[in-house]
Amino acid sequence: MTGVDLPLILFLSLCGLGVALAIALPDRKSPLCIAGVGVMMSLLALWMGGAVLLSGTPFRTELWQVPHLGWLILEMDRISALFLCITALVYLPVSIFSAEYMKRYLGRYSLRSFGVFYHLLFASIVLVLLAGDVISLLVSWEAMSIASYLLVSYEHERDENTRASFLMLAMGEAGTLAAAVALFLLAGTSGALEFTALRAGPAEVSQTLRWVVFLLSFFGFGVKAGLVPVNSWLPRAHPVAPGNVSAILSAVILNLGLYGIIRVNGDLLPVAHTGQGIVALVVGSLSALIGILYATIENDMKRMLAHSSIENMGIVTAGFGAAFIFSTAGHPVLSGVAFIAALYHMMNHSLYKALLFLGASAVDSRVGGRSMDHLGGLMRRMPWTALCFLVGALSIAALPPFNGFVSEWLTLQVLLRSAEISSTGTKIVFALCGAGLALTAALAVTCFVKAFAMSFLGTARSQDATKATEVQRPMIISMATLALLCLLFGILPTYVIPVLDRVVTPLVRQSVVDDLVPPFMLLSGGKGRYSDGFVSEFHDLGAQIGQGVLPGRGLVVLHQGSAKNPVVFAMSTSYGAIVLLLLVGGSFLLIRRLTRARKVTVQPAWDGGLRRLPPEMTYTATGFSNPVRVIFRAVFRASSVAETREAIAEHFRTAIKDSSREVHIVDRAVFLPLVRATQWLTAWLGWMHSGRVNVYAAFVLITLLVFLLIHVLS
Amino acid sequence: MTKWIWRGIRTGIKTTSYPLSPELASGVSPGRPGGHQGGDKSRLVIERCPTGALHLTGDQIGVDYRRCVHCFRCQRGAHSGIGWQTGYEWGSREEARDDDRATLGGAFQRSLHIRVVDCGACGACLSEIEQTNKPYYNMHRLGFFITPTPRTADVLLLAGPLTEHMRHPLSSAYNAMPTPKRVIAVGTCALSGGPFGPSFASNAGVTEAVPVDVVVPGCPPPPLAIIHAMLLLVGRAAPSSLHSVGPTEGRVTP
Amino acid sequence: MTSPSNNMVVLSDLPEVARSRWSGKVTVSVDEGKRLVLVDCQPAALPEVCGWLFSSSYGFATVVIQEETAGWSLRYIFYGPQGSGLVHVTVGLPKDQPVVPSISLQVHAADWHEREAEDLFGLTFEGHPKLGDFVLHEEWPEGVNPMRLSFDSSRRYPHREPDTVWRPSPIVQSPGAFMMPIGPVYSDQSESAHFLLETVGEDVIRTILHLFYKYRGVEKIAEGSSVDRVLLLAERFSGTSAFAHSLAFCQAVEEIGGAVVPPRAQALRVLFAELERLRHHVAAIGGICNSTALAVATSQASILEEELLRLAGAATGHRYLFGLNLPGGLSLDLGGEECRRIAQSAQTIAGRLRELYEMLRFTNSFLDRVEEVGIVTREAATAYGLVGPVARASGLVRDIRKTLPYAFYDRLPSFSVPSEEDGDGWARLRILFQEAKQSAHIIHEVSSSLPEGPVCAPAPLRGGSALGWVEAPRGAAFHWVSVGESGHVTCYRVTTPSFTNWHGFHLAAEEFAFQDFPIILATFGLSNAESDR
Repeated sequence: MTGVDLPLILFLSLCGLGVALAIALPDRKSPLCIAGVGVMMSLLALWMGGAVLLSGTPFRTELWQVPHLGWLILEMDRISALFLCITALVYLPVSIFSAEYMKRYLGRYSLRSFGVFYHLLFASIVLVLLAGDVISLLVSWEAMSIASYLLVSYEHERDENTRASFLMLAMGEAGTLAAAVALFLLAGTSGALEFTALRAGPAEVSQTLRWVVFLLSFFGFGVKAGLVPVNSWLPRAHPVAPGNVSAILSAVILNLGLYGIIRVNGDLLPVAHTGQGIVALVVGSLSALIGILYATIENDMKRMLAHSSIENMGIVTAGFGAAFIFSTAGHPVLSGVAFIAALYHMMNHSLYKALLFLGASAVDSRVGGRSMDHLGGLMRRMPWTALCFLVGALSIAALPPFNGFVSEWLTLQVLLRSAEISSTGTKIVFALCGAGLALTAALAVTCFVKAFAMSFLGTARSQDATKATEVQRPMIISMATLALLCLLFGILPTYVIPVLDRVVTPLVRQSVVDDLVPPFMLLSGGKGRYSDGFVSEFHDLGAQIGQGVLPGRGLVVLHQGSAKNPVVFAMSTSYGAIVLLLLVGGSFLLIRRLTRARKVTVQPAWDGGLRRLPPEMTYTATGFSNPVRVIFRAVFRASSVAETREAIAEHFRTAIKDSSREVHIVDRAVFLPLVRATQWLTAWLGWMHSGRVNVYAAFVLITLLVFLLIHVLS
Repeated sequence: MTKWIWRGIRTGIKTTSYPLSPELASGVSPGRPGGHQGGDKSRLVIERCPTGALHLTGDQIGVDYRRCVHCFRCQRGAHSGIGWQTGYEWGSREEARDDDRATLGGAFQRSLHIRVVDCGACGACLSEIEQTNKPYYNMHRLGFFITPTPRTADVLLLAGPLTEHMRHPLSSAYNAMPTPKRVIAVGTCALSGGPFGPSFASNAGVTEAVPVDVVVPGCPPPPLAIIHAMLLLVGRAAPSSLHSVGPTEGRVTP
Repeated sequence: MTSPSNNMVVLSDLPEVARSRWSGKVTVSVDEGKRLVLVDCQPAALPEVCGWLFSSSYGFATVVIQEETAGWSLRYIFYGPQGSGLVHVTVGLPKDQPVVPSISLQVHAADWHEREAEDLFGLTFEGHPKLGDFVLHEEWPEGVNPMRLSFDSSRRYPHREPDTVWRPSPIVQSPGAFMMPIGPVYSDQSESAHFLLETVGEDVIRTILHLFYKYRGVEKIAEGSSVDRVLLLAERFSGTSAFAHSLAFCQAVEEIGGAVVPPRAQALRVLFAELERLRHHVAAIGGICNSTALAVATSQASILEEELLRLAGAATGHRYLFGLNLPGGLSLDLGGEECRRIAQSAQTIAGRLRELYEMLRFTNSFLDRVEEVGIVTREAATAYGLVGPVARASGLVRDIRKTLPYAFYDRLPSFSVPSEEDGDGWARLRILFQEAKQSAHIIHEVSSSLPEGPVCAPAPLRGGSALGWVEAPRGAAFHWVSVGESGHVTCYRVTTPSFTNWHGFHLAAEEFAFQDFPIILATFGLSNAESDR
């Protein structure tokens, strides 16, 4: 317990110091100070989270008692600790990045306010994660909402920024309201506001109440997580924030929505009905599909990354849904695996999304534009940024040996295990959602091939792109750190999964680590509960090389089938990375050796004999993703706004101008009808606002008469 | 689809057996003037040639095949009378820029990739080049293939008098080829500019823009001559001369 | 070239109508013998007159521009439907200010002629929306016009450094639209030309052409050359339709000199011209099968093509019929036996073509690729003045062998001109098959009714100008020859069917899938050498 007290106090005081310094120091010195304080706060948060995550001793402290409401409690269990570690892992590089990045706002906007809100945001996030009762959760949640709103609307002189951030705030508040209602309903059943009391709660909670709490909390916290159909704010708000804030929004704050979902529905009031799990699964799959579809056709880098965040949050939610279904169907091991897969994906997403956003911001700061149709050829001019962005793109496209592959593989494998569920309806839902997620994975590859290729490869498509230069060292270091983490989490999954398993054990009341990461290849043997048949499967694959000498576990395994007929799905990115290194390195050396005598000349690309190949003759981002636009036309329903054919006498056609506008499917299906209904309702109620004072006086009189009547009659 | 396969099988093999045995069918080559013992009419015959391919060497009419466009004016009409050579093995190395560039031997002998570049050709040379890829001549059996990109080409096959507008594309294509690379110039236009000659819009052949290794005169050279030139390039055939020497070279028609 | 015809109604109406509508602005004279109406017009009335002619279904043949000491003279030549003859609309311009109103808005077929004239002569066509960047490419020095008299055609002109920031001006201006460049060196084997396919990623929306990579300046080289030399140029600038172009040139020279070509020569000319047409059509059919990658059909057509080449080579000494035409007749006579052998071979080949057609007709995968691909509507074909099999496939039936009969065509029993309505690739292919069959039939007719006599008559050389025309395998070709008193050519203007049809190529290359591009190219079967001259 004391292990966390100290860093927490240091953390909060450092936050206060940071705020004070931000106010006191002149703007010139502010970026460095923000960065420094941010780094130190991240390290402290990492210490706090790491202590609880690895040692397992929970932390709890009671702050003070609010009259009639109860104690304000800060407590951290392993779930909070995991989220805290992820937050810190993202905040650290983002703070380093800010040291250079914030300099572009010198003279334009006040860096003081940025510093204040930045530190306050971090503190409020940590408090959300540490909240042990409903009140502190809601208070810190509001603080976090407001701080993030203020940061998103940092560049307030642009109209679209204020509109987007306002939408984010409004929808966020609506979500918070729903979540608050859910929490209070839950508190009503147990009579107290503390989480421990809610967890222990009455055994009998009616089905209706369970459903209401589930739906309210799921969609309420889902607003923050960016789930369909409440994600309209996300693609608008993320791109308009400053680069480092976008990274934090996508990589940290979206996770808080998931934190709320898992806290309420996994921990406080575990899901008891398969239907609730199905809701989560379906909503998650839909979000994933819709998110990636819109990401693929988007040409603005940051908006594309925002849509992609929706996709990844959808995948995590689908994982949660699968976990809920498995636990209600009586498969705790599978449920645990599903939770681990989802949490792993969430962690990976934070890392590579932050990396991608930082990369996009670096490009934006150098080129001055985010549209991929104006970039191009940046690989030669910004090699380090390109390399880090490439790592991020490979990770998000789920390619080994990076981290996205592990979590995506686990999620899809878990969904394939629907065969073990007895109900056919559920199996069908699982199959459809699995197919949807597979399609999502394929589209994600398309999307990020486009993103990387159009921005960094090829020829420069605009003057600005030809003048870009590499960014400064702090920005490169921050991106490289995240890239390295992506690689590490990809090639060492067998060290991450046991940690996640300990996070998940309280939720499913079973440890699944041995099922996922079996120890039988280790020095210490440890065959234990595995049959010879099962282990011999690995011998057939040749995985026994090094058995008995390996220091750590290398395989991630999903086992199915009986002892006589074991069917194993296995993946080892650790060994794979080693083999890949050997193959690539070996091939490289071999080719160098064989072609030593060859003369190599470099000539321009063969273009058919033209004098020059202007950028108009190279593929554009729109062109690359056009097939997707055409195939999924029914989803996009793009309307051609202006197609003018200027012609002078019928046969001389000189120009065809064609621009199309698209309205997001969620807006079309959910919001615009809602808005129209509201407008209709208010228009109908408008008759009350006649503007005449005597009518209003009459209303007051009638209301009074009604109350008197009620009082008399009751 | 089977009807097509059956049709192809029924048609049988039409391909010539050249170079294993000479092709004797009629109409495979226009032939070319073969020199003639000079006489009092020789000056009139020489004047009939519109491209200046005929000249007097001693008392014989010599033919510079780089300029002959097969107009038949020296053979028909009032002042005709010159020997006519049948045959089609017209490939020559005499215009090669670099004498010590060895023939493209080794693996290239039976596997050669060719990129055809049209430098302003009238269409007849290109049509004859196309015929080499068709059933009657089928150069695939000899290991010669046409590629669509100079990046994988070993040899450039050029036709046309090199119009000014094609100068840059030609050098671009030549530079895009990896070494070892060679050039075959096909047709009289590519050797001397043909009827279009050096002018403001075209040049006296492709030899001034790229180094040429093998040339095939003719207007157009028949497919067998083009195949002979390719075989010459890889050392599987013997070169012929670009100039005729006298009446011993061919039969004299009255 | 002239034949008695009772139907001169339209032609005889012309003078009155012209005089009444544009009185004071035009001077009309009629040459009954040549069935020619000469309309001398003032520049201001030019677009109206030409527009009226074009809308009265007169086809636009060519515009001849001559630079004289006193000024410029432009001659717009129109040819009418069957039996109507020719109309020449002439305009004179001052020497130092060669500005003439453009007729392209009324006669869209004149578009490329005017652009070419602007580039090569330096004339200004007022009202033309898109001049520049046509024949002479960007490295050509500014302000130098090759077709002017003052230009020395024998020396090479230094190139200038092209503008580095020049960009092609696109038609499609949607966001994210780009162009796919093709050429000038492209495909396995093709003539040099440059295409820009404008697209937004899926289908190609529009095509922009850049031709004249094979511009050899034939019309300029011909100036001041002897008729012999220009005959060689006329024959050789397009090797695959050499006989047809040399025939048109010889006919023009014969008309200038008043030569009478012997009937045997006329008949043999028809025989050779149809032999060339047959060979060209077989090659085009092979090209279409090749573009759809139907290998056996391609081989079948190629076998026939080589057999026709060998037939021509064995009979005349040259596979492509070079060196046959002379002003006054032919340079080679064929015996009746020889002609019958040719006719027999042609009939055999026509029979095998028929078999090929029957097989293609029922190959669905092949039809899928050529049907409804590259559609040119009849209205568009008429407005662009397309000629040849391409026009006939779109329902625009115009064949010079019928409307302006030349050589032996008027003495042949009547042959029908095939036409189709669909205007797609399959229609063009069907037309090729039908014309090939017809050519074999004509060869047979001619060989069985070959007149006796010499094959060459003396061709006196006088000063004068005349138009020669021919239905080349790809369509109508017009050669305008002016010979000076010294016997040298002073003006040589060639309008080829490929030039006319390339103009309309972009109509077929609109809104198609990229993979269909080679097929559309093959079904048009055009030649860049013929178009670029």
